[in-house]
Amino acid sequence: MERVRVALAASRAADGGFGPVPGAPSEPEASAMAALALDDDGARAWLRRAQAADGGFLLGLDDAATAMAALALGNGSAVDRALDYLLAHRAEVLASDPHPNAVWGWAPHTYGWVDPTARAVLALRRLRPSATSAIEDGLVVLSDRECAGGGWNYGNASVLDQALVPYVHPSAMAMIALHGRTEAIAARGRAWLDAHWSDELGGLSLACTLVARRLLGDPVDKVIDALDARFEASGLLGDTVTLAWATIGLGDGIDDVRVTP
Amino acid sequence: MSRRTFLVRAGEVGAGAGALMLAGMSRNRRTYNPWDPSYYAPPKHANVAVAKSANYDGDLESLVREGLTTIGADVKGKRVLLKPNMVEYDAGTVINTDPRLVAATVLAVRRLGALDVTVGDGPGHRRDTDFVLAASGLESALAATDAKFVDLNTAPVRLVGLHTAYTNLGVLWLPEPVVSADVIISMPKLKTHHWAGVTLSLKNLFGCVPGRVYGWPKNVLHWAGLNEAIIDVAAAVRPHYAIVDGIVGMEGNGPIQGTAKASGVLVFGDDPVATDTVAARIMGFNPERIGYLAEAARFLGEGHWDRIDHRGEDPERVASDFAVLPQFQSLRLT
Repeated sequence: MERVRVALAASRAADGGFGPVPGAPSEPEASAMAALALDDDGARAWLRRAQAADGGFLLGLDDAATAMAALALGNGSAVDRALDYLLAHRAEVLASDPHPNAVWGWAPHTYGWVDPTARAVLALRRLRPSATSAIEDGLVVLSDRECAGGGWNYGNASVLDQALVPYVHPSAMAMIALHGRTEAIAARGRAWLDAHWSDELGGLSLACTLVARRLLGDPVDKVIDALDARFEASGLLGDTVTLAWATIGLGDGIDDVRVTP
Repeated sequence: MSRRTFLVRAGEVGAGAGALMLAGMSRNRRTYNPWDPSYYAPPKHANVAVAKSANYDGDLESLVREGLTTIGADVKGKRVLLKPNMVEYDAGTVINTDPRLVAATVLAVRRLGALDVTVGDGPGHRRDTDFVLAASGLESALAATDAKFVDLNTAPVRLVGLHTAYTNLGVLWLPEPVVSADVIISMPKLKTHHWAGVTLSLKNLFGCVPGRVYGWPKNVLHWAGLNEAIIDVAAAVRPHYAIVDGIVGMEGNGPIQGTAKASGVLVFGDDPVATDTVAARIMGFNPERIGYLAEAARFLGEGHWDRIDHRGEDPERVASDFAVLPQFQSLRLT
């Protein structure tokens, strides 16, 4: 646990924020994740300074950090503006899409994907549960994107009429968003993750699995062992986001991503 | 090829993306020659060498060294970035540039006098690069060479202006290891691509664009127009050399869900357009019918078959038709 925290802290920049890897300038997603993981006021202060006038947190065109920044900031006007931004900036929808409920993409005016949708659903469920329509939109589309037998790929469940297989990372992200829900899709996703998390022993997959399983109340000892092995082998590539998810999964930061009834 | 013809052909190959992609093209294409002629000098002499290798078990280091020498590659005293294609990992598939070839290239480039060799990619589909690295075997292959790997999805970035306007992006965020390398070697897999027709040394450069800025699978680029983005990115990165892994390529529904195609070749080039032109013909495709490649040949490299200095094996003799999705049948040579 401690060495993961130390590795994460190595990405702290001089301005108080966090970069995506050690030595890099501060960025919104890395700062938001580190703020959650380390309960770090310096990172929160950086986030407040970095928030755009419209409430979003952008790196270039990418605004997918906004949901995590809202979770990291916790409360206050900055959070309200971030959530307003989330509700106002949905993904584009293909004319052929059978579920026209727009969800969330990596950047404005692009398609929706499971990971940014999961983040937005999580943030809205925890911080603005009154946004029931948007939350339901997210759940409907997560349901549409579910692969046959449970679990999620990164986007659609099929491309060019060929079924895609589910992966651990997006499935774990979806379950982080869905924890505490009682729909059948949540049960299927939980069962899929339980059966398959050890198929993909990569840092981000394991770290997000750890968080999902803690939120779900499932055993995590073997996940931690596998994550420890990857840290030993690769240092998780020094990736701030991966290290932050791991730290959240190993520590008290889990409470800041938990949705309570 | 006229601009209109390019648009039509690009529209054909991008049919999967549908009307949205076509709308993006018509919106983005504002000028007849969307590149700065003062920045892109006319292509110089292009060298492409084809070498045979039946598998990955032989002396690949010597083969790569010979191939690079044949095309006149100069890496002495240079900081070299090898950019393999590590877009995804699925067990039992041949999605990625084979790690044994990447490791052999590290050793070959060092032997040719490179000051430093780094291997870098920003996987386009998976966000979990650590998983792709470990599961693909690249992690262990590189450990044996003591080469370092950099995740281009998380590396520090720099904003660079574009000298092309095929998309309306105007600028690109590129990783420091890409911007600061003295020499970039694009190392794609010889594959078909379900939106672009083929993915070779030009398309491989999507992995130089960081996912944390452009999303996964580099979604902003797809939205901006896939064929146009391929040209804009390639024109910004401008790789110096290419090594195409065609020992085992992928046909059919590439770049991820296709099937293995043993071609038994490596293609080396000092011009990515010329390299892809030769590689496409080895796959049985007419390069002039591949929209982005034909367009890139107008300014970014040599696309005229007769102006390419062909070395090594005769491409015609090692060619073998790659299966393609129905919408790409029109790309065939015959």
